[in-house]
Amino acid sequence: MTEGDEAEASTGATPRVYKPEMPRGWWLRRRHYLLYMVREFTAVPMALWLLWLLAEIHRAASGPKAYYPAASPAFIVFSVICLGFAMYHSITFLSLAGVIIHLKFMGKPVPPRTIVGAMFGLWLVASVVIAAVLIGFAR
Amino acid sequence: MNHESTKVPKPAISHLIWWFLFANGGGLAALVLPVHILVQGVLGPLGVVHVVDRNYDTWIGILGNPIVKLYLLGLISLAFFHFAHRLRYFLVDLGVPAARTFPVQLIFYGGAVVVTAVTIWVLVTTAPISFG
Amino acid sequence: MAEKRITIRTTRFDPDKDKVPRLQSYDIPFSDDSMVVLDALNHIKAHVDGSLSYRWSCRMGICGSCGMMVNGVPKLTCSAFMRDYWPRSITVEPLQNFPIVRDLVIDMEDFMHKLKSIKPWIIRKQEYPLGAGEHRQTMDQIDEFRQFSECINCMLCYAACPVYGLNNEFLGPAATALARRYNLDSRDQGLKDRLPVLANSEGVWECSFVGECSVVCPKGVDPAKAIQQTKLDTTTRFVLPYGNREE
Repeated sequence: MTEGDEAEASTGATPRVYKPEMPRGWWLRRRHYLLYMVREFTAVPMALWLLWLLAEIHRAASGPKAYYPAASPAFIVFSVICLGFAMYHSITFLSLAGVIIHLKFMGKPVPPRTIVGAMFGLWLVASVVIAAVLIGFAR
Repeated sequence: MNHESTKVPKPAISHLIWWFLFANGGGLAALVLPVHILVQGVLGPLGVVHVVDRNYDTWIGILGNPIVKLYLLGLISLAFFHFAHRLRYFLVDLGVPAARTFPVQLIFYGGAVVVTAVTIWVLVTTAPISFG
Repeated sequence: MAEKRITIRTTRFDPDKDKVPRLQSYDIPFSDDSMVVLDALNHIKAHVDGSLSYRWSCRMGICGSCGMMVNGVPKLTCSAFMRDYWPRSITVEPLQNFPIVRDLVIDMEDFMHKLKSIKPWIIRKQEYPLGAGEHRQTMDQIDEFRQFSECINCMLCYAACPVYGLNNEFLGPAATALARRYNLDSRDQGLKDRLPVLANSEGVWECSFVGECSVVCPKGVDPAKAIQQTKLDTTTRFVLPYGNREE
């Protein structure tokens, strides 16, 4: 067995078996596992950025004098990092939707590729609409 | 692996609800979050384009719209249920089995409920509802 | 031409002597390009060390007995060609996430118990009398579940599943795939009997969709899909009370 497995052969009971334990770094052993852990981690930067958004909304409550929109280089770097993770989340989440969602059209199952395609199409449409609102209503 | 367990298995309704909120939050965030970060977090601060939140009047104006309020509430609240769920499973994967227990579930999903309540408070107190 | 040779390292564990498993190296001839890892194990057992223990039977990817970790990846050793590894050495270990009984043999009691718990057979509320003839099914109805019925219970998916490795209580990939195979069968009426096991806290909700189970399956079954669709269906049934399938 691979080293690092903290395990011991069980004693007394028959038949005696060896029970291996998952090593802590199991997710470093295969690329697929590592990518999965990155996918799971994306939730953290996404939540942090939304907390910032919540703060940005809240700061508007204290009136026009006190409102300065964030513009520091640190904030932009933070946003770029969050954007990378958010994109990775979008790509993985919408791709996996094809595995999960099962629809029928005219009695025939819709192929997963079509569902994933529709999801990415929806992503594009939503992005264009939101960008139009955020930029279109600005002065 | 306790095969002699006498407990009768039954569907876990709470897990079902957490998963439902997680899936919806993940889906909504996947569709809309990147463009928010790109426009409000990168292009706006860099001055590439004019963005509503760069100016007090336009920002408060759009925040007064009830549809925008509902949208922001849905996005932030669901995304935090998504976050709570993923982080809990992430901790299990990192070798913290305690993240599976009921008290931790209470803290994590309860945290998402708190964020939801704070978001409602922020949205209600920030800009008066108007259709202007 | 000099004879090609290859180094095979296998796990050795004698429960009467060893405290922990160890690896033992064997240098054997790689005489034929069509040799698989199982052939190498059989060569060792026949010509080098008769005490090596492992499970195998059909040699053609049907029986599901010879699953082992080959260089860290769960494989049917009868379908793992040595030419894909040579000239590198090959390390053969017992399937991950299971207790080791001896050498390459694992204890599969837990999986057998889980398999039985989802009642992998057609359940009818009322059996037809024999004279009423057969249950008819269209090709479309068969296509609903066919993929999931290909499972040969080889347990590679359990060895690939970190969720099962971290929590042995988890129902796991193959059992859920087989439950779905019967739940999707137009002849079956056993959903209500299986749901308590499938959707309890050690059931599908434990899965975090790593997806490696579907990658390693030698028969093209997609257990990850079965689990996620079970989550979705269970949720839809709960959220939309009229969505309940009742036959």
